[in-house]
Amino acid sequence: MPLDVQGTFVSQKINKIRWIAEDYVESKCFFTGSWDDEVNSVKVWSFESPHEEDEVDYPRALSEYPVEGDVTEIKFIDKNKIAVSLSNGDVKVLEVSVYDRQSPLREVFHFKKLHNYGEEPCSCTSLDTLEGDIATIGEDGNVNVLSGRRGEVMHSIKGADSCSLHSICFIKHNEVITGNIRGHMKIWDLKATNNKPAASFLLAGDELAATCIIHHPTQPHIILAGSESGSLAVWDLRMNSFPTSLVNAHSAGVSEMQFHPENPHKLLTCSASGELWDWNMEAMTKSSKGPDNQVTWMPLEDKKAMMVNSLIPALHKPINSLHCDKGRILCGADNEAVYLIKNFKY
Amino acid sequence: MNTSSFSSAPLPGKGVDTAKTFILPDKCFQKRVGCAWGRGNKFTIYPRSQTVSKTPSNTSQDKLLNIRQDILLFTPILRKLVNESNGTFLSLQKAAETAKVSDNQVEFLKLSRQFRSIIRVCIENLQEAASKEENGIEKNNILSHITIFYSIECIWHLCEILYIDNIPGDIVLPYLLEWVRFHFPCHEQTAAQLLEACERGSEEHKDYWDTVVGMVVQGRVDVARALLKLHSAGESNEFKLVDNSLRSMPVYSVYGGISTGEFTISWKHWQAECRSKLSSRVLASQPKLELIMRIIIGDYTAFESIRNKYSSWFDILGGWVMFTAPWSRRHELGGAAAACAGMQASPRSHLDDMVRALLEGDLHQVIHEIQQISDNGWFATHLTDILFHCGKLNIMDKQQTNVTSRLRESLILEYGCLLMEHKSLWSVGLSYLASCPPEGLRRAELILERMPVETEAKAMRIIAEAKKHGLIGVAQSVCRCMSARHLSAGRLGGALFWETLLLDTLPLLESDEAVFTSNDTYEIMLCLELRSSSLDSEKADLLRLALARNLARTALAEGDGTEEQAQ
Repeated sequence: MPLDVQGTFVSQKINKIRWIAEDYVESKCFFTGSWDDEVNSVKVWSFESPHEEDEVDYPRALSEYPVEGDVTEIKFIDKNKIAVSLSNGDVKVLEVSVYDRQSPLREVFHFKKLHNYGEEPCSCTSLDTLEGDIATIGEDGNVNVLSGRRGEVMHSIKGADSCSLHSICFIKHNEVITGNIRGHMKIWDLKATNNKPAASFLLAGDELAATCIIHHPTQPHIILAGSESGSLAVWDLRMNSFPTSLVNAHSAGVSEMQFHPENPHKLLTCSASGELWDWNMEAMTKSSKGPDNQVTWMPLEDKKAMMVNSLIPALHKPINSLHCDKGRILCGADNEAVYLIKNFKY
Repeated sequence: MNTSSFSSAPLPGKGVDTAKTFILPDKCFQKRVGCAWGRGNKFTIYPRSQTVSKTPSNTSQDKLLNIRQDILLFTPILRKLVNESNGTFLSLQKAAETAKVSDNQVEFLKLSRQFRSIIRVCIENLQEAASKEENGIEKNNILSHITIFYSIECIWHLCEILYIDNIPGDIVLPYLLEWVRFHFPCHEQTAAQLLEACERGSEEHKDYWDTVVGMVVQGRVDVARALLKLHSAGESNEFKLVDNSLRSMPVYSVYGGISTGEFTISWKHWQAECRSKLSSRVLASQPKLELIMRIIIGDYTAFESIRNKYSSWFDILGGWVMFTAPWSRRHELGGAAAACAGMQASPRSHLDDMVRALLEGDLHQVIHEIQQISDNGWFATHLTDILFHCGKLNIMDKQQTNVTSRLRESLILEYGCLLMEHKSLWSVGLSYLASCPPEGLRRAELILERMPVETEAKAMRIIAEAKKHGLIGVAQSVCRCMSARHLSAGRLGGALFWETLLLDTLPLLESDEAVFTSNDTYEIMLCLELRSSSLDSEKADLLRLALARNLARTALAEGDGTEEQAQ
């Protein structure tokens, strides 16, 4: 079946969008987090067909949870709990009811002013979760590690960066990697007490922000970072601190990346230039053994090996977020619309 | 609140006084009032007394009134329209670029239809909201919005037929009939019911004859004939005669192989035959059939007699053209419009005026009229723009200078500025302003510089947009604003990386008391080396010297400090 794209205007700029996974059945509901509006909110939506015979599903809002500031990130802690970071410096843990998706979201924990300049509020720019732990970053340059189960701050790295931090990713349970507004990447050992990064390196020489970081699902030592310039960098953390490869990709900042949960050869990226791409990373992840039996990382310079598809015609406004569940991809954009792409082959 | 040159200095003959007067609700405003502009269409009114009051208790009653225009387009349902149509608008600008080198009329038609479907979706959303709304006042508001967008779609459709669509042979009748059927459906349901039931003696139905006549007037001749067969006297000679006349009506088709001239001759011949049948008085016993015959020979009094069955003259416009001049070309409809509109003296509605002006081909008047619609200029902006790109707009001012592009630009600028006021829709507004350089970009610059920036994420978005449109000044001022914030928060690193402050460190480095610590100095040094290309070499050297001196003295001072602590 051909790719089917369907957009719905929702009267809010969508900054984050996430499928709510279901057991045994195709997921139907999803979260959105809005930004840049008078009042922003986290909403729960469900795809419904208004007429039985209709093939087209339209999202209908089931519940709305207004927040202060912009929603900057939404990540799952477990199946029904999300950690939400906000631009007023707060982090919230919210729960959606398993039985009745329509019932209002329940606030489980609220970390007030987690990131701040003293009294002044400061944006909590992003967070990542791993097995119930939450690592948050902010414009204050601090890193906080929270327990999403007990609702307490377990560890803080004050002044982790002299610049504001914009992206974070758990590498291991006790290790995170952060990226700042100038493209400085730092790896932090959360057990260390000296507030010094375990390693640091540059995303690119252009001084532009590292907008998102992810690791490869099956080879966690492979780290990908997206830049404000639209390029994509890949590191093999076992090898050295220089990116193995840096690809000029989108024409404006990479806003989010995701490896397909079912097929680690597929990478999806979206950008401020309104593009949604699907990358075939197979060639890249096929590691070959060098002469000394050392596994080497296939360099990306061989661009022919990269298969990139554009999944939708470029929007006129930034696409801020994407989330993929099997053959269906959700996108949220600054044109106040969400898009559902069906029949995606993975 | 109109700031564009077009609206504040209306073109000749089209000027109207749009000023509204509001009574200030409070006593404190009775003496003197002052007024200060805020951002966008907002201002504040405050009581201002010029004498210094000795009794301060007087002022306790004083109030400040914040006044802003209530903007329909900012309601959630209409925000969908704003965003979706923005996409189409931008596609249209792209299509217009390619149209400069090749004909792109098909693309324009496609986009025009897209606009109409956006309006229809908007109407559907409004209808859904109206059906759910329980508050009476709110419901009425929504219903009035529905009326507004109904007329917008109606006018747009007619405009599309008359100016954008590619009509074979320019024979407009089939399109006109389609327009009438689509926007003024009448008797359709009754006709369908009767045909479905398919019972002889259908004339028992109270609307039988109105339905038959209605179908004739809408040009659905086949349906009318089928209905006539359901009459209990359907087999009589009178009915057969009318049926025959309806059946034998020549229909023009550009692909039919005959010229318009030939068609005109055969059609006139047909009508003459009908006329002779009518004058033979064979239908005298069946006044309704006689009415139908009088309609199809284009008898003015017959149309006049049925006019009161319809809510507007648009309903009969298609029929009138069909039975008086079916060969009419697109721009020959003014007479028909005048004839139909004149059949009944009824108060002229706004929609009447718009349709009349449109059929008369007076686009200047049309645009002037649609500017009066309270949709915050959405319709006027987009319609003018598409007509402009199709090359169908030619508007002259008093001095016979062509002001078409100025008109388009002023509408777009005003609409763009309006959207830029909104916290979220600013980026939509910006894309309108950017489509009208250089004036649009100048306005964008002024507005962007004043936009509140709460987070770096927003700052980055604004800078990216500003750079995209070449507004370097905006990018710099936003950088400076972010730097200042970091500085006040005591975070030098964050401050310096927002580009412009690097050189500004120079005086601080040279100040009597050390401002930067040695660590800060290292940071600035690093910055400088990474960014040295952005400064000219003389300045960079100067900065290096200052950094070295600062490092020397701070290193000494800090060294002392740690020693003291150690002791």
